[in-house]
Amino acid sequence: MSDPSQILLVGHPNVGKSVLFNRLAGASATESNYSGTTVDYAEGDLVIDGDTVPIIDTPGTFSLDPRDRAEEVTVELLEDAADVLVVGVIDATRFERGLNLMLELIERGHELLVALNMWDQARRKGIDIDVDRLEWLLGVPVVPAVATEGRGIKTLQRRIDEAHAPSIEQVQTRIRNGS
Amino acid sequence: MDSQLDPAARWNLVDEIADQTVEYETAEASVADEIGQLMVSPWTGFPFAIAVLYGMWGFFGAVAGFFTDGYFVPLFDRYWLPWLQETFPLEGTWVYFVLVGDPAATNSFEAFGMLTSGLFIAVGVVVPALLALYFILSVLEDSGYIPRLAVLLDTFFHRIGLHGFAVVPMVLSFGCNVPGVEATRSLEGEKQRFIMMTLLSVFIPCGAQLGVMLSLIPQYTGFILLYLIAGFFVFGAVLNRVVSGSIPEFIVDIPPLRWPRPRPLGQKLAMRTRGFLTTGLPFVLVGVGVMNVLYVTDLMSVIGMAVQPVLTGWLGVPADTVPALVAGFMRKDLAVAQLSAIALTPYETVMSVIMISLYFPCVATFVMLIKEGRNSGGLTRVLLGSLATLIAALFIWGGLFHLLGIVMGVA
Repeated sequence: MSDPSQILLVGHPNVGKSVLFNRLAGASATESNYSGTTVDYAEGDLVIDGDTVPIIDTPGTFSLDPRDRAEEVTVELLEDAADVLVVGVIDATRFERGLNLMLELIERGHELLVALNMWDQARRKGIDIDVDRLEWLLGVPVVPAVATEGRGIKTLQRRIDEAHAPSIEQVQTRIRNGS
Repeated sequence: MDSQLDPAARWNLVDEIADQTVEYETAEASVADEIGQLMVSPWTGFPFAIAVLYGMWGFFGAVAGFFTDGYFVPLFDRYWLPWLQETFPLEGTWVYFVLVGDPAATNSFEAFGMLTSGLFIAVGVVVPALLALYFILSVLEDSGYIPRLAVLLDTFFHRIGLHGFAVVPMVLSFGCNVPGVEATRSLEGEKQRFIMMTLLSVFIPCGAQLGVMLSLIPQYTGFILLYLIAGFFVFGAVLNRVVSGSIPEFIVDIPPLRWPRPRPLGQKLAMRTRGFLTTGLPFVLVGVGVMNVLYVTDLMSVIGMAVQPVLTGWLGVPADTVPALVAGFMRKDLAVAQLSAIALTPYETVMSVIMISLYFPCVATFVMLIKEGRNSGGLTRVLLGSLATLIAALFIWGGLFHLLGIVMGVA
């Protein structure tokens, strides 16, 4: 794909977007261990292959139908920017609902790459996710990560240009064929 | 593009993907999970919360006191103040008065010049207090204790039309009202946001103010704080009935308990302290300057005469507290510090501090109220509502305290 104008970190509240953002952009957005720390967006720069692209940390959102002011900020950011690339952040311990948001992003035709954050906690809780299969089903890159420890960040950075915008029909077809 | 599924179909898809990719094994609850559970069950949770609050208060007092009384008071009183009084030229002129203040003052609270009291309050008192307080707040935030406190307190907050999660802006406001008001954004519904914003800016003293209170009147600080928090809940209950609108139910995730990591903790501490040094400190200095100009031009006594009936008649404090009220528009810490320059009885001191806390948010909080009010039911509604609440709070809650004072025979 061509270079995106912006990279947006999108995900539920408290999945680690700000931590990931700080790791990727070398910035210092406020990180806390509860929902709703980021109520406005923060902007930083990410360097991919020598090019600098603005990367934006958004307030957490449960869906793309906003319910509070902080969520509206995220949806507006997604709607306003053309050719924006989305890094969807999922808390791997709450995999299903994160996936739901990712599907919403796919339906709206966004270029997407998925970060499966809190991978260590998921393993500890006995949740085992088949990343390769997930990647194939969704048709977008999926990268396990532990943002607080900086694990998976390099891979995420390297694979950002593989972000892809599959159609939801393609995803449905693959799921049907897969089962 | 843009072929959107309805929610049910999307969830079916989620289920199918999960079926094909995820396996769950049963895992035992970790020690952190167990402790987290104890923090939210009432029988263990409340004692734990009280212990946490007590520990926080102790830590705050000890650390702030260690730096302020141990280092800054001797430094400013013994060296900086006498040296400045000696060497600064132009003694007797208004320049000297504005910058250095009282040439005969023996302590840095009372000199009240920009370079004496202004610097001392900002650097010597407020910075240590904020460092201690922000450290505590950051640990609470990063460990995941705050959302557990929210669960524990949910019932109480429901009585005033809020959800337990409203402790987040409340806790943040004890550091500084500005981020507290900003954090109301994560609350749902205009009614809830309005109530919370108003209560925060009227009743919650900020860290800078607490720092000065702790340094000047440690024996009354806890008491004043309790009276203000009681007011928070009483006025919340009233607002909940008076303000129209509903408050939607709210479900929130409880994150796992974690050890705070040192690096983000340090970053947060640095960021918040830098915030004070760049935006708070200039305000303190300018505030002292403005006050002194009002003195020199005699405007202060004009204002004093205008509001004296309310002050003395209704609240039972002398008109000498007017300078503190003026200072309170700019900074609450400065306002409390200003009180040290006048002779007050214990009752008058406590009443004055309560009055300063209630009567008007500092200018930074006011600006944030305007900014957030615009998105929470309209600017006029929020501003008029907040103003009406603070006037009611000042007269009723302040008047009630005067009545208490009269009944107890101290006022």
